[in-house]
Amino acid sequence: MDQETVRTICYLARLEIDKDKAEKIENELEAIINLIGGLQAFDTENIEPLYSPLEQKAFKHEDIENSDNKKDEFLKNAAASNDDYFLVPRVVE
Amino acid sequence: MSIQYKTISQLREMIDAKSISSQELVKETLKLAESLKELNCFVTMNKDEGIKKAIEVDGTNTSNSLLKGIPLAQKDLFCTEGLRTTCSSKILADFVPPYTATAVEKLENAGSITIGKTNMDEFAMGSSNETSFFGNVHNPWKKGYVPGGSSGGSAAAVAAGIIPAATGTDTGGSIRQPAAHCGITGIKPTYGRVSRWGMIAFASSLDQAGPLARSAEDCAILLNEMSGYDPKDTTCLNVENTNLLQSINQPIKGLKIGIVKEFNLGDLKAEVQIRFEESKKIYESLGAEFVEISLPSISASVPTYYSIAPAECSSNLSRFDGVRFGYRAKDTDDLNDLYIKSRSEGFGDEVKRRILIGTYALSAGYYDAYYKKAQQVRRLIKNDFEVAFRSIDLIMTPTSPGTAFAFGSKGVQNPVELYLEDLFTISSNLAGLPAISIPHGKVNGLPVGLQLIGNFLKEDLLLNAAHIFQQNSEFHLERPSMEEF
Repeated sequence: MDQETVRTICYLARLEIDKDKAEKIENELEAIINLIGGLQAFDTENIEPLYSPLEQKAFKHEDIENSDNKKDEFLKNAAASNDDYFLVPRVVE
Repeated sequence: MSIQYKTISQLREMIDAKSISSQELVKETLKLAESLKELNCFVTMNKDEGIKKAIEVDGTNTSNSLLKGIPLAQKDLFCTEGLRTTCSSKILADFVPPYTATAVEKLENAGSITIGKTNMDEFAMGSSNETSFFGNVHNPWKKGYVPGGSSGGSAAAVAAGIIPAATGTDTGGSIRQPAAHCGITGIKPTYGRVSRWGMIAFASSLDQAGPLARSAEDCAILLNEMSGYDPKDTTCLNVENTNLLQSINQPIKGLKIGIVKEFNLGDLKAEVQIRFEESKKIYESLGAEFVEISLPSISASVPTYYSIAPAECSSNLSRFDGVRFGYRAKDTDDLNDLYIKSRSEGFGDEVKRRILIGTYALSAGYYDAYYKKAQQVRRLIKNDFEVAFRSIDLIMTPTSPGTAFAFGSKGVQNPVELYLEDLFTISSNLAGLPAISIPHGKVNGLPVGLQLIGNFLKEDLLLNAAHIFQQNSEFHLERPSMEEF
C-alpha cells in the first residue's frame, strides 16, 4: 500500500494521521491487507455472498405515530446548538 | 456478611429471607467496587440512581423475578438513559443517551439494579482491553495482565466477585475470550436472539449481546431476561423463548461433540492441550462421545472477519462527525475540517486502523476483491457448520490459544499478532451461531477457557452441557487471591 493510497483512504474516512505515525500505520495496514489477501486462495465461484447470518428479510415497522419528542434531549448532546438546530461552521457565504 | 462472590441464587435467598435488603446489597456492592478501584473495571458508577432504584424495588412485592434487587453492571456500549455511555472512547466521553438499550431495559424491568458501566476496548475493537481511552483493566488473577477484551471490565468485575453477573457484547469473541482469561463463564447467543437496539454498533452483522457470570446457571438467568423479540431491531428473531433453566440439569449421556481437525490443537502449548484433554475426559465420564469433524474453510475465519468487521465498522462509525453528539474539535476552518479534526482527535489508533481498513475494503476497485470475497467465504464457513451439525450436537475447542498476557506484550509492533487471539471464537460470529466459554483450569497460574459451539438457537443445550460440566468439576469455583489489589 503506497502513501498516495493511504492519503486517499484517510480522506474518504475523514481521518488525519500524525506525520510521525504515518509510516507505522502504513506498515500495519499493509500487514492487515496481506492477512485479508489470504482469502484469494478460496474458490468462491458461484457462491452467493452471505451478508447476514440470518438471511431473512428485514421486516417493516407498523407506521404508527407517537408523541415522543425528545428534541431537547437530543440537542443537549450536541457541542453547539440553538433552540431547534445543530450548529456547524457556515457552509454558504 | 460479605456479599463478594455470591451467586444470583444465593443473593436471591438472602433478599427473600430478609437477611439483606436490595438497598443494603447495592450499597455493599458499590463499597466493594470502590475498594477494588485499582482494577479499573468501571468507567462510570450509577451510585445515586442505583440506590434509588433499590429502595423502590425493596418497596414492591409485585415481581417474582430471580433478578429482583440483584446488582448488575452493563458494558459501556449499551445506551443507558441519563447515565453516561462512552464506549470507552474520547469521542463519546461526555455522551448521555436519551434512551436505554432493550437488553438492559429488559434486565432492569426484571428488577435488577445497574450499579455501573464497565470498561472495554474502545468501540469493542480489541482483544485485551488496552485500547480503552479510560486505561487498562487489570486481570484480577494477576496485576499488570490483560483481562481480555473487548468486554474486559465486565469480565474482571465478575471475576473479582464485585457483582454476580454483567452484560457484554461479542463481535468476534468479546464475551468468550475475556471470560476465559478471567476464569468465568460467558455466552454469545445466536445472532438475533437478543435485541441490538441501543447497543452502539461496531459490526452490525456480527454483534450480539450476552451475559458474563461465574456459572452457566447465572448466565441462563440473565439470558432468559435479555432474549426476545424486539420490533425496534429488524434483525431480532421472532422466536419463542424457552426457559433456559428448565433443561439445564438434563443428563448429557449420548451427547455427540465434534473436535475440529483443522484447528491443529497439537500446535498449542502443551499445558493448554493437557487442560483440553482433561475436559474431554470429564465429558466422556458423563456419557458424551467425541468425533472428529472437518470444517474445511475454517482457516479463512480470521481474514474473513478482518475484512467484514472493519468494513461494517467504517460505515457504522461514520456517524461520529462532531455535529450531533460526541467530541467536537476546536478551531476548525470549515465543516469538512470539523469532521476530520473531530474524528482524528476523538478516535484512538486501533479504531482508526479498522476504519481505514474498512474504507479500503469498501472502496471502488477493491470491493469485489476484499469485501464481497469475504462475504462469499463467510458462506463457505457457514455451510461447513451446517454439514457438521447434521452428525453432532456441539463442537468443542479451547476458547483462546493461550492465557492472559502482560500489558503491552502483544500486537504492539504488528496488530495481526493480537488478531490471532480470536482464532477459535470468530467463526461462530460469522455463522451467527451461539457459543459459550467455561473455565477449565489454569496454565501457569492463569485461567483458560473451554469453548462449546452450538447449532442455531441451541443456547439451551449449550447451557445444559456447561452446567453439567460445572456440576462435576470445581474450576468455576476457583477464585483469584487478589492480594495485589
